Amino acid sequence: MKANTHIWTGVVEGLHLVPRSFLPMRTMDNLSFVKGQGIAGDRYSSGEGFYSDRPEEGRQVTLFEVETLEALWRDHGVRLMPEDHRRNITTRGVPLNHLVGRRFSVGDVVLEGTRLSTPCRHIEQITGKEIFTLLLNRSGLHARIIEPGEAFTGDPIRPV
Amino acid sequence: MAKSIHRLSLVIAALQEVAPGVRAFTLTDPEDWPLPPFTAGAHIDLHLPSGRIRQFSLCNDPADGNRYVVTVQGEAHGRGGSLEMLALGPGTELLASLPRNTFPLAEDAGRHVMVAGGIGLTPFLSMIPVLERASADWHLHACARAAEAVPDGGRLVQVATERVTQHLSDSGSRLDLPALIAGLGPHDHLYVCGPERMIVQALEAGTGLGERLHVERFGTTVTGATAAYELELARSGQRIAVAAGQGMLDALRAAGVEVPSSCEGGVCLECKTRYLSGTPLHRDLLMSEIDRQSYVTPCVSGCSGGRLMLDL
Repeated sequence: MKANTHIWTGVVEGLHLVPRSFLPMRTMDNLSFVKGQGIAGDRYSSGEGFYSDRPEEGRQVTLFEVETLEALWRDHGVRLMPEDHRRNITTRGVPLNHLVGRRFSVGDVVLEGTRLSTPCRHIEQITGKEIFTLLLNRSGLHARIIEPGEAFTGDPIRPV
Repeated sequence: MAKSIHRLSLVIAALQEVAPGVRAFTLTDPEDWPLPPFTAGAHIDLHLPSGRIRQFSLCNDPADGNRYVVTVQGEAHGRGGSLEMLALGPGTELLASLPRNTFPLAEDAGRHVMVAGGIGLTPFLSMIPVLERASADWHLHACARAAEAVPDGGRLVQVATERVTQHLSDSGSRLDLPALIAGLGPHDHLYVCGPERMIVQALEAGTGLGERLHVERFGTTVTGATAAYELELARSGQRIAVAAGQGMLDALRAAGVEVPSSCEGGVCLECKTRYLSGTPLHRDLLMSEIDRQSYVTPCVSGCSGGRLMLDL
């Protein structure tokens, strides 16, 4: 029996990609997840990401909680939009910090959390907002692709 | 050499002669993806094919999402960057920094009074559309040798001419900068961009303006260390000058020394490097005091003296 199977259910709030480092991310209706590679068209599947010179299998997909964006506004008056956090999936209702080493589905796609994301200073350069410190310990999740496929905005996210 | 993934990749999409020996370069993403936003008065570093890195003001409307325009005047007796830039043709790919702004518009100005000397007009070209949209009160004094030498003067004609005064030295109409400063209102802000002698004159005559005086010098517009210092690399013997305004990691990279780095914010400690002498200014957020006695994080830290010896 899987103890955590039905504890939570979340939803895809937004899907984002960008072809090269530093450029503004674009919100998409759907993303294509390629096993062993990453997200079709995203900078980390093509080797064009800021950290692509340090390849990491567990960085195929990145996720970020919309609740953190809401907290930045509520607690610090910082307005950060889903395109600004530079992760691929904006989630709602998903405890990302609990999912290192766990598998979860995003629509038909299955991902496995590999490590917590850490903030990096270049998000401040890009957004022009002082958010580095505010994002410590809530900067999202890195994941790798277990089951490839397409995911759409509004798809459910569940533990598997 | 900077890696392309650590810089913006731009391509020269169009060229336009905007005055004799002065050319406007329209730079875009190779696939015309939107570019990172900028604010009026911002500049970018361009990495030229020779390895030179030069700063150029962005002179298009910041509302343009997909392009940066820089205007370059050939300087026969300069450091070579402008002539190299003018030799580049359409389709040339260039690496660039993110836009930075060390010459922003003041938010609380009663009136924005701008003084441009020659090619120093360029940052004001990005400010004018912003000021117009905000219905702000502004006036531009464009100083040049002759009317045809005003860079992109044709564009100025399209804006409200009562807001632009041309001062053409060939016609004997030089700007009296001290008199202009003396006539400023108590809430007016003065912005000056031009040759060094113009900047010096503005600083001397404008001491009473305090925070209401803004100057932009050519080529010295980066942020970082407050004073220059030197890095000495103990293993290679290499000496690397860190300019005022430059970060330690940037200086190392510019000299071809690759130091692993990740967060570039003083948290991950990936760039932690042993130092052997000198006094670092530690700005990381995590290193223990014991570690700080032996290590420095080049991504955020500086040097409180003239030299820092690294174990590299």
